[in-house]
Parts: sequence; C-alpha cells; structure tokens
Amino acid sequence: MSRVGKIARRTFLVGSAMIAGGVAFGTYLVRSPHANPLLEGLDKGEATFNPWVKISRTGITLITPHADLGQGVASAQALLIAEEMDLEMDQFQVSFGEPAAAYYNRALAEESLPFLATDEGRIAESSRTIVSALLKPLGMQGTGGSSAMSDSFDKLREAGAVARETLKLAASRQTGVAISDLRTEAGAVYLPDGTAVPYTELAEAAAAVEPVTRVRLREPSEWRLIGKPTKRVDMVAKSTGTMTYGIDLAVEGMVYAAIRINPRQGGKLVRYDATEALEMRGVQKLVEITGGIAVIADNTWRAIRAAEAVEIEWGEAPYPAEQAQHWEAVAASFNEDHLDQRWRNDGDVDAVLGASGDVFEAEYRSPYVAHAPLEPLNAIVLVGDEFTDVWTGHQLPQLLQMQVSAITGHTSGNVRFHNQFVGGSFGHRLEIGFVEQAAEIAVQMRGTPVKLTYSREEDFAHDFPRHIAMGRGRGSVANGQVEAVDLSIAAPSVFASQFGRLGYSVPGPDLQIAAGAWNNPYLLPNFRMRAYRAPELAPVSSWRAVGAPGAGFIFDSFLDELIHKAGADPMEERIRLMEHEVSRKVLEAVAEMSSWGGELGSNKGRGVAFVESFGVPFAQVVEVTNTDQGIRIDRVWAACDTGTIIDPANFEGLVQGGIVWALGHAINCEITYADGMAEQSNYHAHQGMRMYQAPEIFVRGLENGHKTRGLGEPMVPPAAPALANAIFAATGKRIREMPFDKHIDFV
Amino acid sequence: MRLTVNRTPYDVDVEPEMPLLWVLRDELGLTGTKYGCGIAQCGACTVHMDGMAVRSCQIPAEAADGAEIVTIEGLGTPEALHAVQQAWIEHQVAQCGYCQSGQIMQAASLLDMNPDPSDEEIDRVMSGNLCRCGTYPRIRAAVKTAGAKMRGA
Amino acid sequence: MRWIVIAAAVVFAGNALAAGEGDHGLEVNHLEAGSVSQADGLAAWSRIHDVVSHPRCANCHTDEANIPMWSGPEYETPGPHGMNINAGESRIGAEFLLCQTCHATSALPNTLPHAAPHAGSPWMLAPVEFVWFGQPENAICEQMRDPERNGGRDGDAMVEHILHDAELKAFITWAFDPGAGREAAPGTMQEHLDDTIQWVAAGMPCPGD
Repeated sequence: MSRVGKIARRTFLVGSAMIAGGVAFGTYLVRSPHANPLLEGLDKGEATFNPWVKISRTGITLITPHADLGQGVASAQALLIAEEMDLEMDQFQVSFGEPAAAYYNRALAEESLPFLATDEGRIAESSRTIVSALLKPLGMQGTGGSSAMSDSFDKLREAGAVARETLKLAASRQTGVAISDLRTEAGAVYLPDGTAVPYTELAEAAAAVEPVTRVRLREPSEWRLIGKPTKRVDMVAKSTGTMTYGIDLAVEGMVYAAIRINPRQGGKLVRYDATEALEMRGVQKLVEITGGIAVIADNTWRAIRAAEAVEIEWGEAPYPAEQAQHWEAVAASFNEDHLDQRWRNDGDVDAVLGASGDVFEAEYRSPYVAHAPLEPLNAIVLVGDEFTDVWTGHQLPQLLQMQVSAITGHTSGNVRFHNQFVGGSFGHRLEIGFVEQAAEIAVQMRGTPVKLTYSREEDFAHDFPRHIAMGRGRGSVANGQVEAVDLSIAAPSVFASQFGRLGYSVPGPDLQIAAGAWNNPYLLPNFRMRAYRAPELAPVSSWRAVGAPGAGFIFDSFLDELIHKAGADPMEERIRLMEHEVSRKVLEAVAEMSSWGGELGSNKGRGVAFVESFGVPFAQVVEVTNTDQGIRIDRVWAACDTGTIIDPANFEGLVQGGIVWALGHAINCEITYADGMAEQSNYHAHQGMRMYQAPEIFVRGLENGHKTRGLGEPMVPPAAPALANAIFAATGKRIREMPFDKHIDFV
Repeated sequence: MRLTVNRTPYDVDVEPEMPLLWVLRDELGLTGTKYGCGIAQCGACTVHMDGMAVRSCQIPAEAADGAEIVTIEGLGTPEALHAVQQAWIEHQVAQCGYCQSGQIMQAASLLDMNPDPSDEEIDRVMSGNLCRCGTYPRIRAAVKTAGAKMRGA
Repeated sequence: MRWIVIAAAVVFAGNALAAGEGDHGLEVNHLEAGSVSQADGLAAWSRIHDVVSHPRCANCHTDEANIPMWSGPEYETPGPHGMNINAGESRIGAEFLLCQTCHATSALPNTLPHAAPHAGSPWMLAPVEFVWFGQPENAICEQMRDPERNGGRDGDAMVEHILHDAELKAFITWAFDPGAGREAAPGTMQEHLDDTIQWVAAGMPCPGD
C-alpha cells in the first residue's frame, strides 16, 4: 500500500553545520530508524532531536502527527512529550507536521488481527509485534481505530525523554556541571545554583552533542501532567472563533468550487445543462470530473447555488434502488454460501440447542446511519509546477499523497499535505473522494488554488454510511442461567467497500461484521458466532466504532433477552459470566455507580450493556422514565478500562459526548435508499440527540488493563443495547431494531 | 448595502438574497461564524443582529442592511474573553469545536435576557444548537457558570 | 351590528423590516351586507375552512401549550415542532427562544427545502384565541366571527387584515405560496379574499347555526 521508506543515516542540521549521529528510541526502535522529516526545512538556528521536537531560539514546536478530529489527540500527544521533556502546556506550539514514515502507527495493526484484545498469550502478542515491525518500514501513518494513544503512549514519552536528556547533556558540556547535578523544569535546565538555562538557548549546543539514547521513562508516581485534568491546547481558539478549520482557509488567488456528483453513488452522469448556472453572478466556469461536474465561482455560496442550478440527468445506481431490497439481500445471506467466518465455537451449541425443548429465537436490525460531522467536507488544492499543495483535514496522510499524486502527476513526496484541525469526523475523514475531486478540478486550473466546499446536502448524498447489519440469535437457558448462544450476523463488508474504492482487494474475512459480538469476554458455556458476508450494497465506510455498534447491539440485546428468560438479574448474570477480571471490574463499577438493584419509581427502568471494542471493555447502565410524551432518558452510568487515563478531563468529556452520539443515532437516525439515493438530505431528517434529550452521564475510568488504549470509539457500542434493555425494563416492550423511534416515542 | 459588524461599518455589494452567513465568511473574511447546514437546523451560524440572536444562514443580506451585527470575534477574544467564553474554557466544553461559536453566541444571548436560567429554560433555548460531538452536558454546566459570573456571583 | 374595531398592538423584538409596504395587488369586490344567501355563505365558509385548517395555517394556530406543529404531507407523522421549541405565553418565543431566531422577516421567496420558512412579518404563533389546529370546523367558525376572540374584528376589519397581509407579504400570503417544496393552502389569496367578503356579506354563517 505505501512505498517502503528510505532508511537514511540520521543527521542533525544546524544552519550550515551537519553532524551525523543516531538516536535510539528504546523498545520502539527497529535497527535503522526512519529519517527525521524535520531535518529538511530547518531554519538556521533550529534544531531537532527526533521527529517530534523542534527547537529554535524563539520557541519550541512539538509535532503531533495524528489528525485531531475533536478527540483531543493534538493536545494529548503534546502532553506525552511535555511530560517527559519537562515542558508546561503553554510553552510550545503544536504542529501536525508533514506526512512521514517516521510517524507510522504501530497500534493500527493490532485491531485488524484476529486475536481477542484480551488475549495476551504468546501467539497473539508475537503476531502483533510482527505486524507492527512490518508496518514501521512501510511508514503507514494514520489516525483511526482509537489507536492514537496506544500508538503514542510509549513512543512520544521516549521522544520527550530523549530530548530532555540530550538538552541536559548539552548543558553539562556547556557549563561543566555534571549531568547528575542538573535538573529540568518548565522548559529550562537548572544548575545547582538555581540558574535557569532555557531549552531555547540550548538548542544549538544540543544539536552538536551525541543524543542520549538510554532513557528511563518515569513511573506513574512521578507524573506531573499525565493523569491530571488538563486544559487542551486548542480550547481557547475553539471558544473564540479563532480556530481555523479547513473550511475557513483562504489561499491567495483562490477560486471557489462546488460539485454535483451522482447521488446514486457510483452511477454515471448521463447529461447536463449548465446554461442557467453559467449566467449566475460570480460564476466563472464548469468543469467535468469523475462522476459529475464542478462549478467555479468567486465565493462559496455562489458556487453551491450555481451547482444546484445545473440540470442533470443521472444514471442508475449500481446497487439496489430501494431500501427494502437492501434488507432482503442481507436477510438472504444467512447460509453456507455467504459464510465469512465462524469466529467462535465454544462448547457444543448444536447439541445443547438440539436437546433443549425451548429454543429462543430473535432477529435484530442495525440500519445505515450517516457520519454527518458538522464541518462539511472541503479541501483546497493548488497544482503547481513542482508541487501540489493540499489543505484539508484527513486521517491518512500518505494515502492522500498517493491518490492526489496519481491525479496531478507529481510524485507522492511532492504532494505537500497541510493537515488541519477538523470539525468532527466519526470516520468521515477516512474517505478520500472529496480530495480527489478537488484535485481533479485543480488539475484543470493549474496554478490557481481551488477551494472545494461541499454543501450539507452533498455531504449527506455522498456520505458512505455505517454498514447495514442483521443478527439472528438462537439460545437457551437452564437453571436460571444462560446456557447456549448461537449468534449469526450478516452484513456487507465495510473493508471491502472502503478499500475497494481505492482499488485494493482485501483478502480474508471482515472482522468488522463480528466485532463487538465475537470478542465478548464472557465465558458462555456454549457459544457460536458466525459472520455472513452480504453482497456489496450501498457503498459504506467506517463509522464511529465500525462494526461494534451494530454487532454489539445485536449480541448484548440477545444476551439480555436470554437473561430475562432465565429469570436472572441482567447485571448479576453478566457479572457471573464474566471471568475476565479487567472486564468484570468494569461491570462491577457501573453496578456500584448506579446502585443497581435499588428501588426505582414507577414507570422507570434500567438496562445494562457491555461491549468490548478496540481493546476497551465498556459497560453502561441507562435509566429511563416512560412518560406520557414518551421515553425520557434520565441518567447513564459509564465505566471502562483504557489502561491509563492520560487526561481525565478530556476522558470524561469524550465518554459523555460519545454516549450522546450513540444514543441519538439509536433513537432517531437512519439512512434509507429510494430511487437509488439516500432519502435524508440534511439534519432535519437525521437529528441525533439535542440538548433537551441529553441525560446526566456519570463516568468512571478504571486503570487495571495492561495496555494504554484509546477512547475515540469504545463508548459507542454499549449505549444502544443499554437503552433498549432499559426500555424493556420500563415498558415490557423489546425493541430489536434501530432507530428505536420506529417503535416507541421519545420525549 | 451597509452593515456594521463588530463595530466596523462595511459596504457590501451582493445579491439581496445572499445569506448574511456568507457575507460574513466570504465577503468580509470573518470565519468564526460557521456553516453547518444552511437551513437553521444546527445553529452553527448564530450571530447577534441588533441585539438578538439569529441564524445568519437565514438572514438575506438585504435584511441586514443597516443592522448592527456582532459575531463570535466581536463577543470576545483570547486576550479579552467574554464571561461565556471563560466558562467554556473552564469547563473544557469543546471537542471538535465547530458548533461552539454558535453555542456561545446563543448562550450569551440567553444570559443577556435571562441571567439565571433554569435547567428547563437552558434546554428550551439551547436545543436549536446541534453538537455532533455531544458536548451538551458541559454546555449546560458552562451556561450556569457563565450566568453566575455575569451576575457577579 | 357594527363593532368598534380595537386595534391590537403587539410589540415585536428584533428587526422590524418594512417589507414591501405598498400595493396589495388584490381586487376588492365589496358586497352589501345581506346580499349573499345563507347557502352561498356556508359554501364560502367551507372554502375558508379548507384554507385555515390546512397545515400551512393551522400549524401555528395552536393552543395554550404554545407549541407550533409540524404537520402536512412533508412530514411522515405530524408532531410538535422539533428542537424543544416553545413560543411561550408571549407566542413569539420571548420566554425562551424567539421564533425570529431562525425564522427571518423577509418577503423574499422561500427557496431552500427544509429550511425555516420566512415571511414579510415577524414569525410567531397566532394569538391563543385563534386556536385552529385539531379543532372541529364549527368551533373555528364561531371563533372567527366572535369579536371577543378574533381581535375585535368586524367584517371590514377581516377584509383589511387580508389586504394588509398582502401588502407585507406576510403569513396568509405565504400560506398560498410557501415555496421550498411545502404544500400550499388550497386556492389563491384572491379567492380567499373573495370568500371572506362573501361570508361576511352572508352574515358570517356557521354550520352549527
């Protein structure tokens, strides 16, 4: 997928002086490190110790390569470096840096391996190590899969420690004071007599010494920043309207573009008539691009308006035109011909269910839902002679370079990507189509920067939603306990769709059909989980937590139904089944937080759900009241284990926000196709949750897990089943299909 | 037409139906006010017009002729934060932050008219502002903190 | 009987745009009181009722819960206005969120599907006495002819009301040409004016009389 990066001898550059050397990064070093991308383009007097730190006399820049979509990773990456480097959070600037193999994401590989995240056995671990060692030379940089903190936690602390020790060494050489008599604090090296030598003054000297390779990372008891509530570095800008998102950028000489692409995704453009559009004020021209047209104008509104005025006849969709046909295709996939993988087969489900006189069966549905983050897709592309420049927010920098270079004719390395803070993604910024469109337009206007802005309607029309899924459960209970679970889930393959759009075929089963269900850490005596691959239907993409929101809803709802059938308590039975200690403590935490088992008022009900995704065990309890106007969600208690909580303030905010996200979609969102097009064109038809519906959300983070995990997604999957379970408890009505407002009213 | 934005007068020559949102963003380069939906479903475009919170995506330029507009940039700056902005930072409200200009402008308008709003009142006034990141619990808390600051409590 | 017209003055917050003050563009064909038969008057009333009970009108003629309705063929199921909106006792949202926050005052055509509609008069609910949503036909008729509940209007004032609305391109005008894919109230502004004049000339008969 990516080219193998060149392994270069490490060099340090200060102005015109060059010193060769090498820097070890402890356990994360493959023998030959990636070239430090900061080495090129250093100004006179600037020094870099490693790919994440740049110092000059005037300031310190920390490179935080992961895309910040709102989850706070720019701040969190900087915090990890600053922790070890003894910087305060206001003593540096952050930058996304340039795409570089040095920023490869080792953690991304792990979730794609078919090992339970709770499996820390030899084979699982060595597979992870091999994959990460392979990915490193390929230099695959990416943000996604809740992996930024797993990727960064050790690596960036080591980068900070190396920088700190090297600065001390430089100070030692400069002053003659022994290193052991030096200490660092708040961006300066302190001599025994109290004299402070700011890092900025040591930069040149530090670049001239042999970097310190042996560093000891601090113990948690020594942490200054990690584990304490932090003020995020982007918070002031986001509170004053001074944060510039991609959509806010202006480049000198820029023109504005708006597209019309076939809303029957992948269908052809049959014919168009732009007569009216071309006469509108400010409109310069129309260009053709793959799948449609683009109108160029002198501001955003004029471009969008003119694009909408083009009369277009679109061809048919390459997938079934009506939503009912999509469900039929999925329903028709529960058979041997479509078996994708039998992920679990513990005990003997056939024997037990065969012998049971009372097999319980149920079917569940999880619909398409849109990403629709609040910042609509946008990109600025300038195709020059030597370089192409791209300004946008994106999660896969090298992929962007590759796809753009194929369009503009430059080499990948000459596509300069300027990553931006993003107004929400939820998976939307993994797709590359909008950047390709901007590049196609810009290539027809070489030398002129082209700013493509999607209207909200185009953003909905061209979203690649979360994949549709159906689940069928068969199970039995005995002696007040869950005895057997035979779960089948059918869905199209999201990875086949996503990678297929890039021209890659992905061999092997799609873990995401089963994720959230196959990997539950319960010890069910008899458990079979089979995934069935439905044919490709509407093009789909990774939505927040990918497969786990659907599969987790299906599995946990079915488990809840069996538990009720057994006459057991939903919380007690889940805890009884949960042998895995780290996960059990998460369940026990929400039980305690919610005082589960206490008396509720009349018309109230509580549900509990547990889903593990991205290595994070997560439990939620939802409490609802069945009012005259419908269900009101009153309170949610949430507990999870991410190994280490890096910033508890951000942690709590993310959990709360992700639960609001998940509950909102579960209540009232779906994307349905009619005449080959998504019927939902704007937020009026895909609301999610509003303020007045938001419950109180209580959050607890546990730190018993061994690995540091991320938190972009894992709070999403348990919310819908916990809500469905609560509604059942309050009303006796079992809802097996999202969105729930098809079956019950909400306040 | 002439409009005053953040106390600066501007003469603009645009179509009468161009939404004020795009006059601000594209004609005047004030990008703190955001485009999220264009149909008054998200509130990201909220500004104050003659003292009243409005969705600038719905105000045609001709209706803003002669009006006094305040945008997020005029409400407060990093060097001189409005009480609502201070509260937003204290509570670390923003995640992606894209909706927050509109949230803050609406909250400032709410507190201007009602310095000590109840939970119900906050829910009634703020539910027109959509947040896809789900920061509502912190927005609620920040509105109350801001109200207390503004009352001098 | 002639009633003293009581002009109801409502103070609006916000930008009071004088949208297109001027010619109402309608033909006013006065009819003498008593010159229209009961039967013809009831027929005229029936057409008036078709208009006022249509979602474009009735959605904002709601009861003392002060909640606008979202109903009509554009909505899968009728229900209250979304986003927790409540116009309050003021009927203009002064207690919470002003209707005018999202609904501009503008006589320009409505062209954006699903956007908050606008008209040439500040958006608001009708006074609470003018509740029409979900009301039986006769109840609406009795309210409309009752000066205690219709803003103190006699027949002439009712006609004036329609003409003034046309001058401003306000709500009644909007109902017949809502644009943006919303279904219009049946008929035209001119026909509605004619029917009103006819109904008044017939003595404002109601079906329950």
